[in-house]
Amino acid sequence: MRNLTSRLTIVIVIVAVFGALAPIHAQDDKPFDGVEINILTFTGPQIAEPLQRRAPDFNELTGAQVNVVTVPFADLYQTILTDAATGTNSYDAFVFAPQWMADYVTAGFIEDLTPYVEADAALEWDDISPFFRDFSASFGGSIYTIPLDGDFHMVYYRVDVLEELGMEPPRTWDDYLAIAAAANGMDMNGDGEGDYGSCISKARSQQSYWWITSIAAPFLQTQGTSQGVFFDTETFEPLVNNAGFIRALEIYAETGDYGPPDEQTINVGDTRTLFITGRCALSMDWGDIGSLAVDPEQSTVQDLVGAVVTPGTTEVVDFETGELVPCDETTCPYAIDGVNYAPFSSFGGWSGGVSASIDQETKDAAYAFLSYMSQPAQANEDVTIGRTGFNPYRISQFEELDPWLDSGMSESAAENYLGAIQDSLNSPNMVLDLRIPQNQRYQQVVLDTVISQFVAGEYSAEEAVATIAEQWNEITDELGREDQLQAYLGSLGVER
Amino acid sequence: MQSQNAGETLQDRMIRLWNASPRFIFLSPSILFVLFLSIFPLVASLYLSMSRIRFVKGGFEITFIGVRNYEKLLSGSQERHFLGKYGEVTPQGYAVLIILVSLMLIMLVRYCLREKIKPYGLIAASAFVVAANRFVPPLVNTLREADVSAEGLGSLYIETFLKLAVGIGIGLYIVNKLDALGVVLRVISILFATRIIWLLIRTMSEGGLNEGGLPGTIGVTMIFAFGGVFFQYIFGLMLAMLVTQNLAGKRFFRIIFLLPMMITPVGIGFLFRMVTNTVLGPIAPLWKFVGLSEVTWAETAFGARTAVMVGDIWQWTPFMFIILLAALEGVSRDQVEASLVDGANSFQIFRYIVLPHILPVSTTLILIRLIEAFKIIDMPQVLTYGGPGTATESTTLHVYNLWRAIDLGTSAALAYLLLIVVTFIALTYVNFFRRRVLENL
Amino acid sequence: MIRQFFIRPNPFAISPARKIFSYSLLIFWTIVTLLPFYWLVVTAFKLPIDVSTGPKYVPYVDYKPDTHAFDDLLFSDVAGNFVTRPYINTIVVASGSSALALLIGSTAAYALTRFEYRPKPGLVLTLALSVGLGAYLYVQGLSMILSGVVAIAVYALIAQTIGRRFKGSLGNSDIAFWLVSQRMLPPVAVIVPIYVMYQNLGLLNTRLGLIVAYTAVNLPLVVWFMRDYFQAIPIELEESAFIDGASQYQVLWRIVMPLAAPGLIATGIIVLIFAWNEYTLALFLTGADTQTMPILVAAQNATRGPQWWSISLLVLMMVAPIVLLSALLERFIASGILLGAVKG
Repeated sequence: MRNLTSRLTIVIVIVAVFGALAPIHAQDDKPFDGVEINILTFTGPQIAEPLQRRAPDFNELTGAQVNVVTVPFADLYQTILTDAATGTNSYDAFVFAPQWMADYVTAGFIEDLTPYVEADAALEWDDISPFFRDFSASFGGSIYTIPLDGDFHMVYYRVDVLEELGMEPPRTWDDYLAIAAAANGMDMNGDGEGDYGSCISKARSQQSYWWITSIAAPFLQTQGTSQGVFFDTETFEPLVNNAGFIRALEIYAETGDYGPPDEQTINVGDTRTLFITGRCALSMDWGDIGSLAVDPEQSTVQDLVGAVVTPGTTEVVDFETGELVPCDETTCPYAIDGVNYAPFSSFGGWSGGVSASIDQETKDAAYAFLSYMSQPAQANEDVTIGRTGFNPYRISQFEELDPWLDSGMSESAAENYLGAIQDSLNSPNMVLDLRIPQNQRYQQVVLDTVISQFVAGEYSAEEAVATIAEQWNEITDELGREDQLQAYLGSLGVER
Repeated sequence: MQSQNAGETLQDRMIRLWNASPRFIFLSPSILFVLFLSIFPLVASLYLSMSRIRFVKGGFEITFIGVRNYEKLLSGSQERHFLGKYGEVTPQGYAVLIILVSLMLIMLVRYCLREKIKPYGLIAASAFVVAANRFVPPLVNTLREADVSAEGLGSLYIETFLKLAVGIGIGLYIVNKLDALGVVLRVISILFATRIIWLLIRTMSEGGLNEGGLPGTIGVTMIFAFGGVFFQYIFGLMLAMLVTQNLAGKRFFRIIFLLPMMITPVGIGFLFRMVTNTVLGPIAPLWKFVGLSEVTWAETAFGARTAVMVGDIWQWTPFMFIILLAALEGVSRDQVEASLVDGANSFQIFRYIVLPHILPVSTTLILIRLIEAFKIIDMPQVLTYGGPGTATESTTLHVYNLWRAIDLGTSAALAYLLLIVVTFIALTYVNFFRRRVLENL
Repeated sequence: MIRQFFIRPNPFAISPARKIFSYSLLIFWTIVTLLPFYWLVVTAFKLPIDVSTGPKYVPYVDYKPDTHAFDDLLFSDVAGNFVTRPYINTIVVASGSSALALLIGSTAAYALTRFEYRPKPGLVLTLALSVGLGAYLYVQGLSMILSGVVAIAVYALIAQTIGRRFKGSLGNSDIAFWLVSQRMLPPVAVIVPIYVMYQNLGLLNTRLGLIVAYTAVNLPLVVWFMRDYFQAIPIELEESAFIDGASQYQVLWRIVMPLAAPGLIATGIIVLIFAWNEYTLALFLTGADTQTMPILVAAQNATRGPQWWSISLLVLMMVAPIVLLSALLERFIASGILLGAVKG
């Protein structure tokens, strides 16, 4: 017995000595030695892969141990909210869509990163494109997330098909429909069967509420990003009950006439597959098709894909009357050749945020890791790898063509792809996604359901817009109109 | 058994208790386990269903709002989504309603005659129903019209709830004393069933029972549940009977037929998306050969519902199969042989020997499957996402869609409404069908 | 038609016509069952482009098989224990919970078939009311002890006064119905309260927590199925054992359970499958260390669309052990001889 006790004592002493020595040992050059960071994101390979791949390098550099925890994509939003709201706090940082920011920021779950960014020269904040810097990453004037990815819609077209038809890439949605109608039924992949003019997925609970916003945006937003496309900035009335949104619904439904027959139950993954296997002439998508189309493991249309900024319109809504009026210098100040473009940054691009309820040292380490991921040295390489799911968002990423050529793009394809992205990013009329508390209820529940019902013929266009407006107002009244309006103005960067 | 005495050790006492109370020890672990995982969550989500959740600084805030969420689902903005779009009822629709209601009334009268309900019992029962009809709606209306933002909302609810509980309790007590409780319960069931039938007549079978109606998620769920379980049972029984014959290789078939059930439900959804793809799936050449290459099942409500049901049937037929197989194997061979000798034909053997043997387990099986089928979510969610429109959206998928947008209140309320419907259907099934079947064996 | 489907004692009595009919139906259903499985196997070896360019049926003939899905999930640098950890978790949780559910569920089922329980409806209603009252008081900010005391006091008061006076009583079938009614609510509706409860009990992100949850979820199934099997066992056997001086436990363990073995195994396989494949509870009650396989399958549908090859591979990996187990246990299920012999 006595023997055992003395042995135990020795063990305890040794452990204690080592324990005491450890922090001293850690002091030398690694700032976060022994710090453990748990980062939550969704199960990759996209997004999670680069985080996992670069974690060992970061550990080497700073001594912090990064654990990437993943949950299925569809459950990420609720997992973050549940974890933070119930005070479980299992995670130190989150990589999520800045669209969800409103809920996390108003509840104080994520840290205000403004002081961190200001003190961080290596991040090269000014290199990040102004839209992501000033709108996407910020809320109410403060910075809350570090962008890792740039997201907005573009329209992709088949260069060879358009040449054959003798048509130009679409500038307006009417052009889009004309091309789709002309190309529909042509054989585009050489299998002797007719293919489709346009592939835009219309499945429920997937991406349809983003597509409709992309189509409606040029009708609704003419005065720059701060105007917003979802609500009136004075009364918070939904901007759906007007001729522009109805026209957008009709365009959206008409694209279905030139699409695959099962468009109502396929999602963007399926339309991407259709497009890169040569079955579609046109498609709307995020930046992903650009990098997927050059991958020989997946694509049969390498170098046949062109991209343009999402089409605009020549008519816009006059909110006094709710009717469409032609574009002129006062109605569309940002119009290019008479066409009002409004590229939509749907979803907002994956970004990293730091939990507000952890100790300062972990916060610093988590921020350092996010910053490390976003610094040009790392990011400019990652955005050219299709597997990462990261799309360009830094100015320097457009200037250097070499990484893109290394990834397998031809020079003309790279210039075309980057050109389309740049056109969108440089647009002063870029559209910000809805970022107010519980925006998922507005978009994922109400908007998504009603437009699916409209496409399935359960509602007429007029009934659809009336239903959307009524249900949006109901949610607003539940959550408090003034609070929601303030959050909406905050997200648009409007001071009132 | 040991007698109780002062010298009894703790161990002895334990043994004595152990021996004395198997009826307690056998049952209580199950009850405790189920209570552990159900009592708090059930009460909490009932409270959630009557509240609204908001995220505020540092966490969340739950505001009690009474029946507002239920109102939204039953007569507000979610009504059309949940219950469906009401069509103009056709004469056939009215005919069906009248026939079904008369049937239920006949059953009620027969019950009264059979049980020899005394006149004063009947009077008490009618008085109870009339009184409930007179006094409950105004109380519920008070709750519906109450000001949500008012301070005393919680106490108003408690007060109303107590009034209702005391009133109903006293009423039921009297009725019970007069042996007329059965009548009251049956009348309530008939009223509830009539409401469901009327809803279904107004929303389902467009063109037959009504003009211009569309089923809501509850109607779609019923199509999936009843249609799916019916076919699963028929197929499961057929397969089980086939492999209880003395055929070579039957063990091989038995194992093969179990396979679909073993795949995780989400996986089956994905699998069926691959298999039912009319362009890239294995049936594509066949599809093209029949000349359907420009058509898919996914375009129409009927086609999409069929696809979901086919997947569900494929997945759950094995469940019926394995249980029925075990039951069929228990059929006494001697008995079958004896009746064969007596010259019974196949149908008679099935009717008088096989069927009675498998009926008890069949009724259990159908009940369990019905309960599970009312929660169908993975197949429509993965295969069709509930589309086109809302054609394949089951109530559970509707609950999930609201829930994942953190509309916890409405989603809990919707789940409770589903619970009420399923409980009613299950109780009806157990009391009017299962019990009767088992008694008439 | 019905002529084809009943059991004949004599193997030689099967006519050739009936044999052909039976086999054609059996083979038809075998194809219906196996075709999707075949598709899983071939898809697991496909490159994305082989999936997306039309149906490819036979490896080496239609397309060149590739092991990239295996490499990504199992053998790549970042794979690590990406699959092995959830796999082990699934095995532990599913087998633990189904063994537990089988044990306590079948004893409860036995009790419900052999003993009579007569809970008074008035008492049960009063109990439910007082629990509700206690919970309400607690939510309203009363301390847990105080609200518990109030609830118990109200219960005792009402139960003593009017609760006992209700005519009639509930029976065993009502207990069974109550148990099965616990499966009626969709899990998403109660998942947030369960999450909060688990967080307070420290069961979040533990295998034990998941085992407890699955046991409770599967118990009603076990009770219902085993009730039917126990009912089929004649009580005379037990009675003679009691006369020989056996205790209730010995009778259950030595006589009844072996007789009900086919039912136990069939039920066991079913609850094992349910626990093996459960998704919603697993998603919320687990963290990185305790995630189970269904979550991994669901996660293969990310922003790039479903990764068909990975889904196929993971589904096959999940199914394999259960198929083996069922193949081993099938003979016991089928040998209803046990039951038949007793009955006959």
